[in-house]
Amino acid sequence: MKKTSDEQLVLQLDPNAVSPKTKARLLYMRKVARPWLLNLALLIVCVVMLYPIISTTILSLKPPEEVRRKPPVFLPCDNPTQSFALGACRFSLEGYARIFLLRPDPASMFGFVVTGRLFSQYLPNTLFYATAAAIGTTLFSGMAAYVLSRYRFRGRQFFLVGILALAGVPLLTMLLALYQMNINLRRLLPGYDERWFMVIVYIGFELPFAIWVVKGFFDTIPRELEEAAKIDGCTPLGALLWIVAPLAAPGLASIFLLAYVNVWNEFIANYLLMSKATLRGAMYGVYDYIAQSLTSYNALAAACIIVMLPVIVVFLLTRNVFFRSMLEGALKG
Amino acid sequence: MTPRKVRSGNFIARLLPFWLLLPSLLIIGAIQLYPTLFSFLLSTQRVESGTGRQLFVGLANFRRLFTSSEFTQSLVHTAIFLLGYAILTMSLAFGVALLLKQRIRLTPVYITLIFVPWVISDVIAGVVWRLFVVPEYGQFSPFFANPSLFGEPNGISILTSPAHNQISPDFPFPPAPALIFLIVAAVWKILPFITLLILGALQTVPTEVQESAAIDGATGLQALRFITLPLILPMLTVALFNLILGGVNGVGMVFSLTGGGPGTSTEVLSYLLYSLGFSKLDFGLAAALSVFIAILNLGLITLTLRTSRAYEENI
Repeated sequence: MKKTSDEQLVLQLDPNAVSPKTKARLLYMRKVARPWLLNLALLIVCVVMLYPIISTTILSLKPPEEVRRKPPVFLPCDNPTQSFALGACRFSLEGYARIFLLRPDPASMFGFVVTGRLFSQYLPNTLFYATAAAIGTTLFSGMAAYVLSRYRFRGRQFFLVGILALAGVPLLTMLLALYQMNINLRRLLPGYDERWFMVIVYIGFELPFAIWVVKGFFDTIPRELEEAAKIDGCTPLGALLWIVAPLAAPGLASIFLLAYVNVWNEFIANYLLMSKATLRGAMYGVYDYIAQSLTSYNALAAACIIVMLPVIVVFLLTRNVFFRSMLEGALKG
Repeated sequence: MTPRKVRSGNFIARLLPFWLLLPSLLIIGAIQLYPTLFSFLLSTQRVESGTGRQLFVGLANFRRLFTSSEFTQSLVHTAIFLLGYAILTMSLAFGVALLLKQRIRLTPVYITLIFVPWVISDVIAGVVWRLFVVPEYGQFSPFFANPSLFGEPNGISILTSPAHNQISPDFPFPPAPALIFLIVAAVWKILPFITLLILGALQTVPTEVQESAAIDGATGLQALRFITLPLILPMLTVALFNLILGGVNGVGMVFSLTGGGPGTSTEVLSYLLYSLGFSKLDFGLAAALSVFIAILNLGLITLTLRTSRAYEENI
């Protein structure tokens, strides 16, 4: 509890300056009323921030006739006499059923198969892109950041500032050229897999920021540890692998997670570079549902929930890791 | 062990930094540097449709861009968007950060909950907000269809109703309701991040400074205005530039929330870049626009770096 308001200081300096009644009131303000007001204010902020997500969740659980009601209601829980009655709630999984598109299949283990394109195609693609790009980003940024943190050489500062400047070039600018590059590569190389091109593009987008953040982590690890190991006969590579990397593991983990979430959430590059829908990820899947205006709103909301839920869960489980690399990176632009 | 072997060992060890740096150099070169140079080159060329041949045209693309009404319109849209976005986000984030700074038992829980919108993708956030205003069935649709607030409803949703009484087609002010709605949605998405930045800055202000101000008779508001604010001003500037940079370049939300419409009333610069380069396939013009945006961004980044360095020297 902070004690910075002037009344409280007067209290400390001269106990007789105020009447006992005022003193009691001030104490009450400090111990009881203020925390409650703060709680109330922050609770309102939280509700406002989470409202769009809550509302989408409820929409995804509405049956079709509730989705099409005019004027729209927040909760489908009213009956002719009351505006809210728990027994009258009409929730349904119809929206999710339209996304999953379960089809009975006696050959499958559960007796049915999921045929919704989001599950058979878009989410597996996203899973592949995010995993491969996050591993690549962590590995390469760790290697480069070690060099930039431990060695002094000509062009080091230029490289560090240069990659930051490149990060300022708009994504769409690069996509113009990358689009052509992909077409040329496809024409020149037989057996060329566009999906790996996508992975490399994602690593390229994540690397500059990741290098800066990981370098920041490496800079905080004292050099003496490595020097001691080198005297004991450890090679520089050994020092990186067995001394620095384990110590920087939390930082590397945060870069992995950040890259994973960024790639999971990415849409434009994936949409514009990949020529076939079969190579596109989950964000395109959701965008595609808007484009086909046939899709009902409860199904659209269900698709949103399905795609964002994994990210939200990962965030809630690892929030401190997130906050660390974010703040580290923000100061650098 | 022969002397030769020792020397070759040293050789590999000496080149180790190079091998470690090589993958990053190659990837950044291919994915970031080359495309940037390619675009800069392309901005001075005209791509012949059909043959795909590139002809050097000097600054003709830039002239064509700066005189087109699409460009002035989207520049005004971007300016309105950035102004609303920056003012709303900074003031709300500052308020929320002040609340979060008074540590109470549940503060970590609140921080986590407030932060959830930040991890959601732009596209999903756009869809979520779009569902609020879809024609007829959206929760906010009746509000936006209110004639006394937004003029005669043209269509039932702001996704289809154009702006009213604009000064001129080249200066689209006042903005369409859809642009205002886009600002609100974008603020919702970025607010957590900026709040956390400001909270971090607030926590660097030593409590002793505030206490001594209080002893000298400063009220809470005075202490905030004359002690805290000047101390965190550089950090606020960094946050502001981060905000503007994201605002200039973010396009995912425009895609899924309004698609640039109704008409062109939410076409910001980055969306114009998309529509020039990827739907109208006017590569030269798109490249010229991207050079323009890149220069804008570089200016912002330079300013960010300078202020953040000043900030680091101060603490």
